[in-house]
Amino acid sequence: MTIERRTVVRAVLVFVVAALAVTLFSAMTAQGATVSDSAVSSDISMTTTTVDIDPPDDAASEPAPTSYSGSNRFLQSIVNGLVFGLLLALASVGLSLIYGTTGLSNFAHGEQVSFGAVLTYFFATQQPVSLPMIPVSFVIGMPLVPAALLAIAVAGALGWVQDRYLWSRLRKRRVGLVQQMIVSIGLSLAILNFIQWWVGGRRLRLTPDIDPRYQLGPVYLGEQTLISTGIAIACLLGVGFFLTQTRRGRATRAVSDNPSLAAASGIKVDSIVRLVWVMAASLAAVGGILLALYENGTAFDAGARLLLLMFAAVTLGGLGHPFGALVGSMVIGLVTEVSTVWLAPDLKYAVALGILILVLLVRPQGILGRAERVG
Amino acid sequence: MTKDDVILRADNLIAGYLPGVNILNGCSMEVKKGELIGIIGPNGAGKSTFLKSLFGLVNIREGEVTLNGANITNLRADELVRHGIGFVPQTDNVFPSLTIEENLEMGAYQAHASFKKRLAVIGDLFPVLIDRRHQRAGSLSGGERQMVAMARALMMDPQVLLLDEPSAGLSPDRQDETFVRTRTINRTGVTVIMVEQNARRCLQICDRGYVLDQGTTAYTATGKELLKDPKVIELYLGTLGA
Repeated sequence: MTIERRTVVRAVLVFVVAALAVTLFSAMTAQGATVSDSAVSSDISMTTTTVDIDPPDDAASEPAPTSYSGSNRFLQSIVNGLVFGLLLALASVGLSLIYGTTGLSNFAHGEQVSFGAVLTYFFATQQPVSLPMIPVSFVIGMPLVPAALLAIAVAGALGWVQDRYLWSRLRKRRVGLVQQMIVSIGLSLAILNFIQWWVGGRRLRLTPDIDPRYQLGPVYLGEQTLISTGIAIACLLGVGFFLTQTRRGRATRAVSDNPSLAAASGIKVDSIVRLVWVMAASLAAVGGILLALYENGTAFDAGARLLLLMFAAVTLGGLGHPFGALVGSMVIGLVTEVSTVWLAPDLKYAVALGILILVLLVRPQGILGRAERVG
Repeated sequence: MTKDDVILRADNLIAGYLPGVNILNGCSMEVKKGELIGIIGPNGAGKSTFLKSLFGLVNIREGEVTLNGANITNLRADELVRHGIGFVPQTDNVFPSLTIEENLEMGAYQAHASFKKRLAVIGDLFPVLIDRRHQRAGSLSGGERQMVAMARALMMDPQVLLLDEPSAGLSPDRQDETFVRTRTINRTGVTVIMVEQNARRCLQICDRGYVLDQGTTAYTATGKELLKDPKVIELYLGTLGA
């Protein structure tokens, strides 16, 4: 009973802070967009030559047609929900692994998602790009796949750097988890502002190609969506295989269960945590890239907008349970998309969070979280 | 006791959790190979802190711990496991989401090549664990968890096994089983250092005992001598069940 109450309190605390953070992000990005509008007046209209990488028309920026009716629309929204859930899971699994092994609710995880997508744009676009504080423009123009792989590698390296020079030092100095969470909020804002300063507030397309759509029975799917879904499933299966079938993966679960006991068993906890940070940052980058393909574009705040949904997925599935993050993401993805069949799209995130509250009331430990025997 | 016999020595340890607050105020101990040592004392005497400081879980501010003559003071827990020290905590002593077999595999994390061989050895000591190897450890009772915890610590074939109150929270018959099992493990050649609240039962099975009081080692003698010592009886054992 004690465990269940603690889980609920923790979940509510994480949500309140997450909601505040997302509100803050929204307020900031709205302000940023206004400034950006005046500086680059034609960015948002997406029609002029100022931002050539933007989609040629508004319809192309939507993941799927919205004019279906009846059962087709329902089936389409289910498919969209499953795809979105899979992509959300890629980002959420890392968040869950970090929470599981370190106890940290990492609010800067959303920026890892944005960073992966923006970095891919940086390497792949045919337009001149520049590095922050260096007034020289150049074109890299790599093909999309190598650009994405390079971006994932750089994002993974950033995860390593973060743990090596920030989080491991805070852990060593026994800084409390709440204080670490506040640090992560600060880091999140810093990275968010850095990315905005670097690439601006406009929408960025990773590839200028128009995504061809295929009709599969009553539903439509874009080619990029199909490929993204395939990659997401492969990545998630890979994570599952790692956690259950490899010795290091089982050690990761052991650290997640009890870090002191893991150390007492001879496991180098710091190495496992560092591996988790690299994995989480890489998976978030993959998620960011695939979401950018699915949504035909990304922006500096793409991850920040997803953060609350990621926390919802992780909490719904069971805090610190990586497979729970997958299940939670699928539920959140489905609920957000299917709810738009009957309700205004503006309410879709509210419905997902409502479902989260309902599930936690019935099952406080989350869908896959297990109540442990005491004594 | 010749110098060669000594496997572990703690010399005037001063240690604590919070800055400026010492729990141990000069604890010393000398353990011979193959001995079963019991550490007893009143609540707050620093028994568990002493054991944790030997295993690097509490920072030692002054003093020295040596294993076979090598200085192991303040080494990390995973390094101490490599040196041949096993530790079984009093609570939270299994990985609840892992199966029994996976728990044992984690115990042999640094010697994965010998996992199957050690599993067979552990299977002789704890046959019930092998029968239920696929059961999740989180679903086990307190006594069963204690068994898994001991088995996990033995997977690396340690020279010294540290047990923190192994009988805590168990029913009397399970406590008896735990003490018998501890003696059995000790007879296989493993040196055991055990902290216990059940002082009388602990002194009955141990070769030597240390009595801790206010963070210092107050007395040391054989278990039988301490059981008869009037001062120990008056202060720690009481007269009931004598």
